[in-house]
Amino acid sequence: MNSEKKNLISLVPTSPTCETKSDQTTIAALAALSAIAVCISSCKKEQVGVFELTEVPLVSTAAEKDKLKTNQQFVSILYTNLFQSAISGSDVFELDQLFQSVGDSEVAKEVLISNFFNESNVQLPTVAEMNADLEAFIVETYKRFFVRLPNEAEKAWVRNFIQSNPYMTPELVYFSFALSNEYQFY
Amino acid sequence: MNRRSFIKKTALTTAGALAAPYILPSGRLFAPTGSRSAQHVVLVMFAGGVRHQESIDQLYLEGSQVIDPYPGNIMYNLLTGDAPTMKIAYGTGEGGINPIPMLDYYTTHGSLQSQGTLFSEVRAFSSGHFGGLNSIVQGADIVGQGLKQRPLNPTIFEYLRRHGGYSATDVWFVGNGIDGSVPLLNYSANPEYGIKYGANFFAPTVTFSEIGQDKFSNAKIYHPENELAPMYALKAFLDNTFAQYGGALDAIGNTEEEKQLIKTFMNEMYTKVADGTFLRPPVFDNGDAITVGFAAELLKYFKPAFTCVNLNNVDVCHSNFTSYVKALHRADHSVAFLWDIIQNDPELAGNTDIILIPECGRNAQPNSILDANQWAAYDHSDENSLRIWSLMAGPSFPQNTVVGSEGNQIGKVSDAMLTAARILGVKDEVLGAGYIEGGTYSFIDLL
Repeated sequence: MNSEKKNLISLVPTSPTCETKSDQTTIAALAALSAIAVCISSCKKEQVGVFELTEVPLVSTAAEKDKLKTNQQFVSILYTNLFQSAISGSDVFELDQLFQSVGDSEVAKEVLISNFFNESNVQLPTVAEMNADLEAFIVETYKRFFVRLPNEAEKAWVRNFIQSNPYMTPELVYFSFALSNEYQFY
Repeated sequence: MNRRSFIKKTALTTAGALAAPYILPSGRLFAPTGSRSAQHVVLVMFAGGVRHQESIDQLYLEGSQVIDPYPGNIMYNLLTGDAPTMKIAYGTGEGGINPIPMLDYYTTHGSLQSQGTLFSEVRAFSSGHFGGLNSIVQGADIVGQGLKQRPLNPTIFEYLRRHGGYSATDVWFVGNGIDGSVPLLNYSANPEYGIKYGANFFAPTVTFSEIGQDKFSNAKIYHPENELAPMYALKAFLDNTFAQYGGALDAIGNTEEEKQLIKTFMNEMYTKVADGTFLRPPVFDNGDAITVGFAAELLKYFKPAFTCVNLNNVDVCHSNFTSYVKALHRADHSVAFLWDIIQNDPELAGNTDIILIPECGRNAQPNSILDANQWAAYDHSDENSLRIWSLMAGPSFPQNTVVGSEGNQIGKVSDAMLTAARILGVKDEVLGAGYIEGGTYSFIDLL
């Protein structure tokens, strides 16, 4: 508060060279009035603003996905989802060329995914980890591939499906999600 | 069973058979009205811009290269005529001085021309490559058809699948690469047809290249019942859920069995490439030869009803005439090899028609570029580049027949597509759809 006063006062010349005495009186009066005004306004009770954040879900819904991924987007996102690291630019370019050279893109994608699963550094939970907390696995899989949460019906169906298919592994679940139509859109 | 009961049951059965439509895999209700004159058709787009002078006219260097006016037939497997005797530069080895020998099959059976029918003066619609290729697969000259754009009107692939009930692996397009919008030709943008009736496609020089070997050849093998079946079942659930929100993705429509077949074929090709045992012509030093080799592998594996193969290497003629005659000589060698393979396959031999047609020709006058032999190069933009031809052979065509001549043009580029449609039984449906060029006929109907 003191510094504000000083600043205001310092705006007024303190050693005039050519003003009259009445001018000096006027200036002094104005300075005094300003100081009083500042004091009055500063003495008001401080209002404390309360700011709150409204939680906005950052996950998308299936209904919002209406743009088809390009080949390059598909392979980049797929690689990240499976390896938890970024694919190189040259690999994206080469895979795009390969995709263009195969008429049925579903076949090309199946071939690519099954090649990826043959690589040692693919990031997959084990079957035991999946079964230890199936609910969490399903939720995480939806978030990883679809960038959204499953609804209760989806959770229930997928849980029952995995439990009733003894050969179902995290790899095959990921395979299904990566091939699904929803995954082709964003 | 008494007489009345027998008649009643017979009548009911007959009525049922007549009333119940045939539900074909393609979704059409009735089988095509036309009969098939062969079970398989191979349409070779002998493309890249082949001048009439160096092909049908058998002029080699005469007329095109003032300093070396030597004629001759450099396509002696396909066309009847004597090879050049002077200034050989289209063969193998240093300077291309060793012509590729005629394949054994043709030394005993004669040229493909002698085995079939040659329409020697056919009219192209376009002097450009993509326009020309489009006119072949669509059977039409489409105003407004742009590059990097799918065919505007339906293609022969879609007619066959929609009206003929052919499955996805029954209809193939084998491209010479992925440049020039070639991968866009396997189905059209027409809303009544489109991807769900499209052809399967490979560009073998890319699919089975080193890149393919690196990225696609190490596919994990899954058990079809224990692993793939539940994987597809979960995918189906996910797709159904997405469809509730209006999300859908049209596809070529290979069944799961067909997808497995394709993947097995790809694995086989990667193995053969690694071993160096894939089919290819005796001389395979360019992309056309490699493409044709893989087309032969595909034919033997899938036995498709319709296969379209695209060549392109002769387009080097824009800047190098010597390379052009070499590529033309190899195109002859490669396509002849393909027909040889077909004739030696028990299921395909005697049951397969082949149709060759360039998409456009080349100019009458050269541009200013000279190659190492001081031979002038040729572009394609003038009237001469609309002069093409079509050679066909197989059970649907008479042998040793030549139709048309210079000054007596018979046939159009669009006729090739309708010829394939006629052979495979969908000609009436194609005509009824109303998308092809007016005045288009099957070459067979022009005989």
